[in-house]
Amino acid sequence: MFLTKEEQEMCEGKYGPGTERAMKMLVKYGEAFDAEKMVPVKSGHVLSDPYDWVSQMTEEVDRMRIFTTTHSLYPRAQWWRKMGIDEENSRAYTQDYDELFKEYDRLECVPAATCVPYLIGNLVKMGDHFSWPGSSGIVTVNSLLGGRGNRDASPTTWLSAITGRTPNMLLHKKENRYGQILVELDNLDLENFTFADYGTLGYYIGGIAGVKNVVIDGVPDSTSFEHMKFLLSPLPVSGAVALCHVVGVTPEAPTLEEALLGRKPEERVTVGQKEFREAYDSLNTAKSDEVDLVVFGCPHCSIMEIKEIASLLRDKKISGNVRLWVSTAHQIYALAERAGYVDAIEKAGGTVITGGCVGPGLEGPLREGVNVVATNSARAAHYIVRGGGNPIAAKYGSTKDCIDSALTGKWRAR
Amino acid sequence: MKLKGHKINGGKAEGEAIVSQLPFSYLGDIDPTTGKVPVKGHDLEGQSLAGKIFVFRTGKGSTLGATVAYWAKQANNTPKAMICIEAEPVIAMAAIMPDIPMVDRLDKNPLEAIETGDYVKVDGDAGTVEVIKKAKA
Repeated sequence: MFLTKEEQEMCEGKYGPGTERAMKMLVKYGEAFDAEKMVPVKSGHVLSDPYDWVSQMTEEVDRMRIFTTTHSLYPRAQWWRKMGIDEENSRAYTQDYDELFKEYDRLECVPAATCVPYLIGNLVKMGDHFSWPGSSGIVTVNSLLGGRGNRDASPTTWLSAITGRTPNMLLHKKENRYGQILVELDNLDLENFTFADYGTLGYYIGGIAGVKNVVIDGVPDSTSFEHMKFLLSPLPVSGAVALCHVVGVTPEAPTLEEALLGRKPEERVTVGQKEFREAYDSLNTAKSDEVDLVVFGCPHCSIMEIKEIASLLRDKKISGNVRLWVSTAHQIYALAERAGYVDAIEKAGGTVITGGCVGPGLEGPLREGVNVVATNSARAAHYIVRGGGNPIAAKYGSTKDCIDSALTGKWRAR
Repeated sequence: MKLKGHKINGGKAEGEAIVSQLPFSYLGDIDPTTGKVPVKGHDLEGQSLAGKIFVFRTGKGSTLGATVAYWAKQANNTPKAMICIEAEPVIAMAAIMPDIPMVDRLDKNPLEAIETGDYVKVDGDAGTVEVIKKAKA
């Protein structure tokens, strides 16, 4: 692989043993995919990888070479009492992070603790290279913003943040960013689709696409950013999709021809009512209609989502048997608090938390006493029922369906 | 039989093959505390990958996969080497981070050329695999 003088010096230890190890490991990674050179990465994002490994990579590294935010975590102890869980119970789950947090600060990582760094200022413009963990962020930034990133394993993103480089391969190269599976939509009322309807669609498409790049034709331009977030985020849950062009909506897909980079699709799939229903039913795993917990914020809620939740809960009261959790980033929480949304949700009996994951992160004591969770997130509905510990089944539907179930304790949607 | 392929991670290892026809994720498809496959209906359900030469289709799943491979390696519960048809970014780092020899893109489909129980020698640096077929019962 061709290395610049600076990259060569990183490999030779000029910038210390941590940078040397990180760069050598990135070279191996690039060679595994026949990359011919490195490219500069503009945006970093890291999560809590094993501290013993991280500390080897960061030895004598003063700070990350690129702007780097941190990923969401298991919910922190400070929230547990509000979430109705014994704080004592949380110790085993939260204390491991202490050393890592000091390391984050030392390396000047921005302690965002969120899975939506693109919503809190870790912005990537079209053509910029990024290296992030978190499959929903990767597919969202590739597809919706035109940033270029692979489905990097979380340790890989540490190597990129430390060195500011990643091998020029796969989705970093424009010529590899063509759609492979063309999805056409038949007889779906997209103009009236809720977030959960878009999530259902994404969940179905991910399941048939596997690792391939997707092109969807037929989504109306009237959809919001949030609708797209709900469409894209389940694609790497049922599958391993990192790029999905939406014709006429996403920046690299002004036309179908451009989304396909002039090629023919390798496969064509039509999604209609039958396929939609199949995916919707597969996410609705709960037989009982008695809901114990309602979760929003997988991926973390935007301010627009929190505004809607607050307006549906204002001056109402959540049923005594139900808990309701909304998870978001610190910055969005501050805005929601200022706007009175946090107050409206809390007066109704809900809880807004920051920095914590209520999807795949719903583990251990957080699962206690929960049999049925209601959510508008296909990611959460998928991961929560598969999480270790107390078995939980899911009810999946629109934000309004979920709020109704919180107010009455009963799921009444279709 | 000698197969020629492509290096994902260097190093040499040899041992008994265990073959899955499925894509694999270290998050979910292996219990890092035992090395066993806990997934109901998986073609290796209940079997241990620890100390074996693991042959499978490709990687899939969570970007946490490499991290789980690292934990499994610390507990001596990973395969000794990995062989797949073609690697993707997460499974490649699951070989590189814990330093497990791995090759892909062999000149024959490894899922057909190698059967569970065959004795396999992997040379990650050379990108080669030698297969000594098990005696037919």
